[in-house]
Amino acid sequence: MKDIFFWKNFIEKVKKNFKGLDFEMVAMENNNELTRFAQSYIHQNVAETNLNLTFKVINKDKISIVKLNSLDESELLKSIKRAIQLSKIMPELDYHYCLVKPQVYKVKGKYSEKTENFTPLERAQKIIQLIERVNQKGYEASGALETGMETIIVANSEGVFAFDRETKVDFNSVITKDNSTAYHSFINSDVNHLDIERISDELLYTALRNVDQVEIEPGIYTVILSPEAVAEILSEAGYAGFDGKLIMEGKSFVSGKQGEKLFPKSITIADDPFEKLTMPIPFDFVGYPRKRIDLIKDGVIINGVYDHLTALKYNMECTGNTLPPESASMGALSFNIVMKQGKDQLEDMILNTKKGVYINRFHYVNVLDPMNLELTGMTRDGTFLIENGKITKAIKNMRFNSSVVDLLKGVDMISRERHTKPGFVGPVVAPYLRTNNFTFSSKTNF
Amino acid sequence: MQNNEEGVISICNMKGILKNILDYLDSKVDYADIRFVETDREKIEVENGILSTYSISKDRGTGIRVLVNGAWGFASSNDLRKEALFKIAAKAVNIAMASAMVKKEDIKLAPEDKHIASYITPIIKDPFKISSTEKIELLIQTTNLMLKDKVKKSEGSLDFSKTHKWFLSTEGSEIEQTIFESGGGIAAYAIGEGDFQKRSYPSSFGGDYATSGYEFIEKMRLLENAERIAGEANELLVAPLCPEGEMDIVLGGSQLALQVHESCGHPVELDRVLGKELSYAGGSFLTLNKLNHFTYGSPLVTITADATLAGGLGTFGYDDEGVPASKSFLVNKGKFTGYLTSREDAFKLGLPSNGAARAESWNRIPLVRMTNINLLPGNLELDKLIGDIKEGLYLDFNKSWSIDDKRLNFQFSTEIAREIKNGQLGKIYKNAVYHGITPEFWSSCDGISKEKYWHIWGVPNCGKGQPEQTMHVGHGTSPARFRKIKVGTSK
Repeated sequence: MKDIFFWKNFIEKVKKNFKGLDFEMVAMENNNELTRFAQSYIHQNVAETNLNLTFKVINKDKISIVKLNSLDESELLKSIKRAIQLSKIMPELDYHYCLVKPQVYKVKGKYSEKTENFTPLERAQKIIQLIERVNQKGYEASGALETGMETIIVANSEGVFAFDRETKVDFNSVITKDNSTAYHSFINSDVNHLDIERISDELLYTALRNVDQVEIEPGIYTVILSPEAVAEILSEAGYAGFDGKLIMEGKSFVSGKQGEKLFPKSITIADDPFEKLTMPIPFDFVGYPRKRIDLIKDGVIINGVYDHLTALKYNMECTGNTLPPESASMGALSFNIVMKQGKDQLEDMILNTKKGVYINRFHYVNVLDPMNLELTGMTRDGTFLIENGKITKAIKNMRFNSSVVDLLKGVDMISRERHTKPGFVGPVVAPYLRTNNFTFSSKTNF
Repeated sequence: MQNNEEGVISICNMKGILKNILDYLDSKVDYADIRFVETDREKIEVENGILSTYSISKDRGTGIRVLVNGAWGFASSNDLRKEALFKIAAKAVNIAMASAMVKKEDIKLAPEDKHIASYITPIIKDPFKISSTEKIELLIQTTNLMLKDKVKKSEGSLDFSKTHKWFLSTEGSEIEQTIFESGGGIAAYAIGEGDFQKRSYPSSFGGDYATSGYEFIEKMRLLENAERIAGEANELLVAPLCPEGEMDIVLGGSQLALQVHESCGHPVELDRVLGKELSYAGGSFLTLNKLNHFTYGSPLVTITADATLAGGLGTFGYDDEGVPASKSFLVNKGKFTGYLTSREDAFKLGLPSNGAARAESWNRIPLVRMTNINLLPGNLELDKLIGDIKEGLYLDFNKSWSIDDKRLNFQFSTEIAREIKNGQLGKIYKNAVYHGITPEFWSSCDGISKEKYWHIWGVPNCGKGQPEQTMHVGHGTSPARFRKIKVGTSK
């Protein structure tokens, strides 16, 4: 991978080709390797080296974008020339486009040399470790282990130059024996933290209890959601609720509700790159520094996150959540969703539940009604009935139709323990939650 | 910057280099294939009459897949320098050797003939030769026309691609293909106090797509449909909520395309059935013991996989394992009769591959993917299909979708519902949701409209695999009737 000096030099070299016009550049260089396994053998094993370069040319509020994945000089010059030509014939924006000025970045991406250099052999060894442990109990393992490194460079003709390098290890596994299943996911920057022994134990703990599943009737239940399930809900909320563009267009449940106390005081949700448990991205894709943005604070809806274009159009402040140029029409997404921990222990949450359901994982969640943040989806890989303070039975998979707004209004217990789970952009830091307002709408026979 | 003197291979020399790499690999592997893929794309997005995105892109690279000691390895790179290509070849071998440490049996491939061939999407108008100004102007006019009454937001998009790919294998195949795709659509959002309603045309989630030239966009008549769509969005905003209960429904072609996609297309993917997608997308209820022994739907239901259909978004000459495009029956007169296969998975059933191994691009391996999965047309006029319903709903244009990991329990919501009363279409309802269990649902199908209502819908956003791959697939459908379906509303 190219270092910071290469990219500084690169910007200096390409600058002159824009003939005095404003420009922005986003470069993303990645080396990713991923090993997939199913039924306890490796069935797919892949590696990718790639580089994506995007140039945005700004010609008196006329904008064109070119993208290529090559540093070949002739291709590069041809692309820039084409972008300049196209910018001349583009219609004008209905607002004035300003470039971001040079900024100071207060957080850095997390990097691990071990992760960068993790080999296919080492990934296979980790997978063997998992397979051997679960096979002893008669289970088969499926899943994926990805290790990789990404470098992001954002620059513009105003002098912004932002460079960051981070590594990632992303692991997930389902273990199965007949109808008994369990799931676990892990995301971190450092493969040294991937503890297969602990993950195997957790998988087996869930799977060995997830047997002889019974049916329960659909209806409103008290549920305890695992951090995995909470992360999924919060990601959907970030996508369909806290995008500033949707808010300004009146298409979000947040629209017009800023400042209202809708939720219990214990609910605080933020986009926070400074959270220790997350994997931060230091800047957004026009070069704004990332900062903590409260979405819900002490139960009060604060606001959403705003990208550069929406902020310019509506005269708002960009919160450092601009997406890459090709995704700009989406608006903004929260990069590092973090939910504040509570004071409870999971054991106490179960102990204090007279009748309820514990949900380990959701499947195929989708937005049903964005104005109420109503979601639908299925439970999967470990759903349990809680009776009189104890987990008593495993439950067959259920479909839910539940509003995130109602779900959060009904939260009465939040765990102190939190976990980092995969999200839509960066990871989500989530606790266990208990809510007394969760609607199962139908059931399955498996 | 790098220049050509540093060893970047010119595209015309690429084929020779790829052959050299196969020669290098030949003694080291059981099997190898190389794919070089180059995609040019143009994307235009307009909101409320203002251009929001105009982008052009070129993406290219090489992926090398090898079978060593009965296990797979794959490596890919955007770097076209000769030494970089040999490096990824060696890397693929190294990865396969690691895979071989954790295998149960040697991977074997269903036999396939050697093919020396080429394929080009037949087009009338090259979309890249139509001026960008003309395309942008079409969307500006269309989105402006939609801004009526409560429609405060209108969107239009056009998307074109030209993909040139080479496939070479150690079995001697050399296949060159050029695939053109054109697509686009419009959407109107009527926004009120605490509610908004969306109507899309010709289909939801970006419109309709085809392997075609610009003529496909012209046939859509976006401008001519803009006011009608905006009108429907306005009507929906003040429409009553969809009634709840068990009733007869007709699904319009666009919604039926997604129904076919989720409840037939995915569960017939043989890799899912064999457990290869278990940790992520899930498995399938169509287990091996059900092949030729399971009633999937009513005798009216015949579903094919057909990559040879002119214009389908899942149409090509050869799949990404070098298997010719073909047509096969997945469901025949209600009986479950076939899977979508790759060479590896077909071998396990003792069958030849039916050519459904597809890769998103050079940097991804081929997986079992849908091609064009089609519900064959029936023999009813549309008014007869609706006319035989005393009380029911006509539902179309997907708004939300979800289905369990075995593809049985599904729930879909649609942009629009129309009352059917005594065989006539009536008022509009909003926020319609219907749900069911896959084989029960398809068994309740008692009418499918004629071929003249049949259209191949392009779905450009089918996700699968890790790392995720987005595939472009097609679904031929005509409106069909289903009895006693549970219908309700999102709040």
